[in-house]
Amino acid sequence: MIRHLLRIVWNRRRTNLLISIEIFLSFLVLATILILGLFLADNYRQPLGYSYRDIWSIRMSMNAPDAELTGAATLPFEYTPAGQRAKVATLLGLLRDLPGVESAAAAMNAPYGRSSWSSSFSIAGRNFDYGANEATDSFQETMQLTVTKGRWFDRRDAGMPGEVVVINERLARELFGSQDPVGRTVTPDPPRLQEFPRRPPMRIVGVIQDFRKGGEFEPAGNFVFFRNNVDETYTGPRMPRWLLVRARPGSGAAFEERMIARLQQGAPEWSFRAEPLTRARDTVLRSSAPPITAWTLIAVFLLVMVMLGLTGVLWQAVTQRTREIGVRRAKGATGAAIQRQVLGEVLILTTFAVLAGVAVVAQFPLIELLGPIGARVYVAGIALAVVCIYGLTAACAWAPSRLASSIVPAEALRYE
Amino acid sequence: MMLRNHLTLAWRVLWRRPFFTATSLFGISFTLVVLMVAVALLDHIFAPMAPEVRQDRTLGIFRARFVGEHSLWNSAAGYRMLDRYARNLPGVERLGIVSVPAEVHSYTSGRRIESFLRRADADYWRILDFDFLEGGPFTDQDVAGGSAVAVISAATRERFFGNASAMGRTITADGQSFRVIGVVSNVPATRPVASGDIFVPLTTAKTDAYRQELLGDFFGLLLARSSSEFPAIKAELESRLKSVEMPDREYDRFEAPAETYFESVAGQQFGTKEDVRGHPERLWAAMALVGCLFLLLPTVNLVNLNVSRIMERASEIGVRKSFGASSWTLVGQFVVENVCLTLVGGMIGFALSGAVLYAISAAEIIPYAQLRLNLRVFLYGFGLSVLFGLISGVYPAWRMSRLHPVAALRGAAR
Repeated sequence: MIRHLLRIVWNRRRTNLLISIEIFLSFLVLATILILGLFLADNYRQPLGYSYRDIWSIRMSMNAPDAELTGAATLPFEYTPAGQRAKVATLLGLLRDLPGVESAAAAMNAPYGRSSWSSSFSIAGRNFDYGANEATDSFQETMQLTVTKGRWFDRRDAGMPGEVVVINERLARELFGSQDPVGRTVTPDPPRLQEFPRRPPMRIVGVIQDFRKGGEFEPAGNFVFFRNNVDETYTGPRMPRWLLVRARPGSGAAFEERMIARLQQGAPEWSFRAEPLTRARDTVLRSSAPPITAWTLIAVFLLVMVMLGLTGVLWQAVTQRTREIGVRRAKGATGAAIQRQVLGEVLILTTFAVLAGVAVVAQFPLIELLGPIGARVYVAGIALAVVCIYGLTAACAWAPSRLASSIVPAEALRYE
Repeated sequence: MMLRNHLTLAWRVLWRRPFFTATSLFGISFTLVVLMVAVALLDHIFAPMAPEVRQDRTLGIFRARFVGEHSLWNSAAGYRMLDRYARNLPGVERLGIVSVPAEVHSYTSGRRIESFLRRADADYWRILDFDFLEGGPFTDQDVAGGSAVAVISAATRERFFGNASAMGRTITADGQSFRVIGVVSNVPATRPVASGDIFVPLTTAKTDAYRQELLGDFFGLLLARSSSEFPAIKAELESRLKSVEMPDREYDRFEAPAETYFESVAGQQFGTKEDVRGHPERLWAAMALVGCLFLLLPTVNLVNLNVSRIMERASEIGVRKSFGASSWTLVGQFVVENVCLTLVGGMIGFALSGAVLYAISAAEIIPYAQLRLNLRVFLYGFGLSVLFGLISGVYPAWRMSRLHPVAALRGAAR
């Protein structure tokens, strides 16, 4: 049966090749959009690891000359990182005294903020990429991070040799599998090039569920928190760029205005931009909507166009083959058998297209065409695309196949 | 005469199979809508448009970077770089300096207003031709003396003062107060050098730290006497930057090319550490490639429909061939038919694009952007439909012309 169908398909190879190409291209469109869609949906389901309600994030600009550009030696103290950290500590004190503030913290970057910091280290030859942040001891309380093992930074970490870190569950799993990571020290491999400094060992004091800084649509990744309590125990070169403030529920614009006035008093030459995290989150989610909508609309229109086109082409093919079908009917084939033949031919064409399509889409992860998407999402997306494309082509062939099955042999043989 | 016959025939054929015609038209018009919206958006970002009326003879300094063997430090230009190295370039009439927009917050009667603030010098207002609804720009004296004055956009005026006049009133932004001396029409957020809500003299910055920076957050605008001076200006700036002192042993050269905005975008996409220029032709090629990839599916779809439609007319072709019509005549006839079809689709697509652009503007997806179909976009669209019609018509026509008359008469086309 299949061999016979293959021969029929082969006999009309030129027309069929074009149809197969069309199905192949549609499969690429469908697979791409489904993989990306599943990826977004999968990301959205994952826990954020923090709370965004009743929190203000405040971006600070120091309006200071860049230390690296001007040569740090010539800078007055308030422009040096140490001076700026001291100022941040003062500001945190001012905030904690402000009525309505429940908790305040400082960090290198904030959720839903545009700045981010990513890095990597290699341990025993294995490379780990991670997103990073540097935060004060109060950060966990302010952001209500879920600590799943060990603890967050506190005063006990002051003055410890090396770096103290809190990592997320995913990185803990990648580093230690099912073993308990708390209390262990990881030592990054020495750099391959001599001129880069050697990274200090990192002692893990706790594990948090996650910290997906970019919000709901951010892909899962590794995350590392370093301690920077803006005091003299910190020896690194960096200063925090964001303040995070947990306020009493129901605090509004008047609170924000008071808070900014207080900060501006504490550091008149700095700039502050405050925003409730709920609003920053809205902005991020809303800004991802137009591209998603546009690509989905384009894909849907392309598929509708292909479906209409395919239906037309198949319909035309059936009318053109009226006499051939008439002969089969006259020799005793049932209407159902004819319908099966038409559908079968289309499904064979679809199979060729899908084989080629899967072969092409399977290359996407190798060149990271669609970004860092996990194998699970890829396979699910391709499987769903295969099911959908068979469904779509079968739907397109349905009406033409009905037409074919209703051909009356006596009339068909006379058909011109 | 021949063409008229072709056209009449085309019209008849199109009506014979309304489903095919409708499907083809749907595909063509939708494809054109997508392309025309893309073209209109690009046009909106790159084409000259008020207030950038002298764009044809303006170069910008949009990026600056330190390059070393192992390091790369990318940013916008700093004030010191522009002030020290980009002034008095030969062939340049004026240098305008303006900061990249910074988001600032203001508090007024219990509300927060978010604006984009730019700090600029006085020449900025002479290079760009803003449409002043009230008052005028700040002057060289204002900039020299650091006067706390501001030019605001119409949208900002509405946010702060409703529809009342803003002249002489005070706005507070980022903890600083400014007296409003001018109101300009809104500029779409996509325009890199002219968009903004509040413009203030650059000397009103909270500290004068910016004066020492080679990398920072400023754009330079170079108004040349004419575009023929561009190569000389670029070369002179490049040679002046060779004398920049490196802040660090890590770096061995400083680059801040004078370029058009299109060149700068090409540079950000395709520039390498070795070559700061982006080779704009690569950006053109990339855009054309994306367009062609997108066109692939609609074209195959249309070719398929056309092949079907032609094979249906096998007997007609057989008759014409047996009466001596040459293959070329038949190919010509079919291509004309198809171009007619795509032109009709093009017109529908054009109307639809107008509607879609209107909807995008109305939804304010890009703040203050008034996307419209202009003559240039119309010509692009027209060219695209003709091209589309030719491409999708040639293969089916070629197959048709190769039909053997006898086979065609039997209707046994494969």
